[in-house]
Amino acid sequence: MTVLTADGVATPVAAPPAPSNALLVVQNLTKHYGPVVAVQDVSFYCLPGEVHALIGENGAGKSTIAKMLAGAVVPTSGSVTAGGIALVSGRIKDARLAGVSCAFQELALVPDWTVAENLALPDGAALRGFSQRKSIHAATALLAGLELDHIDARALVSSLSLADRQFVEIARAITGAPKALILDEASSALGPPGVEWLFRRIRELTALGTSVIYVSHRLSELAVIADRGTVLRDGRVAGEFSRGNWSEDQLISMMAGREASKAFPSSPPLPVSSKPDVLRIENLVAEGLNGISILIKPGEILGVGGLQGHGQRELLRALFGATPASASKWMLGGRPVRRLTPVKAVRLGAGYVPEDRKVEGLALELGVGENLLAPWLKPFQRGGRPRLASEKTWISGVIASLSIRTRGPLENAGALSGGNQQKIVFGRWTDRSRTLILLHDPTRGIDVRAKQELYKAIIELSRQGVGVLWFSTEVEELVNICHRVVVLYEGKIADELEGDRLTAEAVVGAAVGVASPGVSQREIS
Amino acid sequence: MTLPTAPSRAWNAHGVTRLRREGAVAPVAAFLVFFIVYVIINPGLLTRFQLQSAANLVVPLALAALGQLIIVLVGGIDISIGAIMSLSNVVFALSMEHLPVPLAMLAGIGAGLACGLFNGFLVAYLRLPAIAVTLASAFIIGSITREIMDRPGGGITPAFYLATSGELLPYLPISIFWLAIVGVALWLVLQRSALGRHIYGVGSSADSVRAAGLNARGAQLAAFALSSVIVSFGAIMLAGSTITGDPRSGDSYLLSSIAAVALAGAAFTGGRGSILGTILAACTLGLVGSLLFFAGVNSYWQYVISALIVISVVGVPVIWRTTYLAIRRVRS
Repeated sequence: MTVLTADGVATPVAAPPAPSNALLVVQNLTKHYGPVVAVQDVSFYCLPGEVHALIGENGAGKSTIAKMLAGAVVPTSGSVTAGGIALVSGRIKDARLAGVSCAFQELALVPDWTVAENLALPDGAALRGFSQRKSIHAATALLAGLELDHIDARALVSSLSLADRQFVEIARAITGAPKALILDEASSALGPPGVEWLFRRIRELTALGTSVIYVSHRLSELAVIADRGTVLRDGRVAGEFSRGNWSEDQLISMMAGREASKAFPSSPPLPVSSKPDVLRIENLVAEGLNGISILIKPGEILGVGGLQGHGQRELLRALFGATPASASKWMLGGRPVRRLTPVKAVRLGAGYVPEDRKVEGLALELGVGENLLAPWLKPFQRGGRPRLASEKTWISGVIASLSIRTRGPLENAGALSGGNQQKIVFGRWTDRSRTLILLHDPTRGIDVRAKQELYKAIIELSRQGVGVLWFSTEVEELVNICHRVVVLYEGKIADELEGDRLTAEAVVGAAVGVASPGVSQREIS
Repeated sequence: MTLPTAPSRAWNAHGVTRLRREGAVAPVAAFLVFFIVYVIINPGLLTRFQLQSAANLVVPLALAALGQLIIVLVGGIDISIGAIMSLSNVVFALSMEHLPVPLAMLAGIGAGLACGLFNGFLVAYLRLPAIAVTLASAFIIGSITREIMDRPGGGITPAFYLATSGELLPYLPISIFWLAIVGVALWLVLQRSALGRHIYGVGSSADSVRAAGLNARGAQLAAFALSSVIVSFGAIMLAGSTITGDPRSGDSYLLSSIAAVALAGAAFTGGRGSILGTILAACTLGLVGSLLFFAGVNSYWQYVISALIVISVVGVPVIWRTTYLAIRRVRS
């Protein structure tokens, strides 16, 4: 184990014993899945009223630790004690009774239950009466108390946006005043105001003496909220840090085990090209979209900003033909478009990386190679191994250029980590003479290294003259990498930012609707 | 995404919202239309005798469909429902020869419950697929049934016929009364108890239910047990109305129960389905045959008509939604 000293030099020390007033103590926690070591000898503790961060790349074991603390996974060895009670039973209910509750990364809400049912049902026995009316009253009061009035307690969870689902998941974990709260990537779907909301809740809880375990990828959040933290690498503790004595670069190199930088690559200069505009669309109307005009030149990276649920998903889906839409003028790759379908969009040179890689992006039971080939498999063509063999150069080229960590094209896509799955969804469009790539928050919930590799790949596309439309919830990505950013607000373009005006403050300001109306809906001509 | 806002308050009342969510508006409407057509073609339905015989025809099917619905709610399908029905029917009819009625009913329901627990244990705790488990158990239960009784018989008394299939009041067949009791009891369990909501939740997303700290497998097992009890009750009602125990009596109920659940708009992936919709769907399908008889159509067409009803009722909401969206797009 190493500890960062004030001057940033890592020095090895022995694991310090937990102080006697620690609320949550984790000692030598180990989890093996068969021969695979997911977590090895992890120890840390959390004092009452403290926010303890767990950081690390994907596959570093953060989520496994969070699940063991929450009782969803039984540790192979080691101990977890909460307020003096040992928790190793592997039952979520026991952990909740001991005062440990968890907001899971893969949201654990039942889609066909209402918000009220999701909030009320987890507590208590199965054999008891359940009143819809009472649960709705209780849930409405609870949501109002947590400043979540915009969520209707009667709505089905499946009808909520991803961000709202995350709010409900966090609200459920907070109810019942837990002694220890585990937030596993709880901010991944939240925009900046949502993150501030989360921090307010965390501060309320810590003021009452609750310990918070904060698992996150977003290093910028740690500076604000984390009191102490543990850095994980390959299932082991790589180091610890406490407030004020760390820098982002230090943490990143600790997580990656090598010198790395968070620095965003800068966008390449726009190539002067005689090719027609990649996308030219005027007055696009669809469900949730209210007259959007966009122009993308070859090689241009156009960022799309804004809060979740203001039409970004609908915009990308409409541009790929996945949802019905109409526009007064619509040119894709220089050719006019009427009634777009995804098949037609691919033929016209578009590619789409959807929001949910597991549901919309991949066939998890099929191999890596077949998933890469998915858009290129026509009904009456060879498939299976002969096809994989004939496409071998392309497949291994994609795997190598994106550094997808897989045992080969035949491995199930479901067996890969999130970042590598995302690279497959992205990789199927590379080197396939695309003109426009639509990206829906491709870096959501993936680790720093995978992010850097995706940034590189996006810039490479731009260099080849491919137009990129990139919706991101991370403002830094938009500001640093994109040539130009449009910010959506309530289905319209609230502002278009470029050059000096393209700053994080401007993007966030336009996203919450404070930009002056004069700049919205600028004519594109 | 929000549901389209409707002007009237009744349309947005809580119960109606749930009927809509559970896909039951179309089957309820279909039943009303069907009932009116039936009464126009055959006004004789509204006589005491015809009401009674129609009710006796429909109630066992409605109970079998409710049993199937509960399994569908947890994301499974029960192929053994006809076999369970035959077994309870036969066990009950045979017990009536020696035992008083309450004990005979307990024996019949107990036999069905044993089958349900067997299926439920294999599905919930050994995580075998429901279709394979219930298909296999259908064969096993079928053999046991024929071993117990290989030809129709048993000791069912005319008094029992009157208690299950007679009239409670003029124009109110007693079988409808029993069906209503079962329906309300089941509604209380599914909508007004935590266990019932767990059953819906397991079908919607078993992983999420587990992650909420709930006993997902217990809910699955409970669903199989509950289903088999209701199906056995249907078998006893069937034995009462035919005054015999018959080892093949349940066979025809397998496909009709699945058809009724499909007509009721339930999601076969689990988590969505309505009790009222299922009962009315079963009534519709159960009466198609006699409607054709009164309309003078060859009864072979019964299945074609049933199929058309299922497809159109399931299809109408889908077509409605697409046209609704298309109209809205044209307007904007």
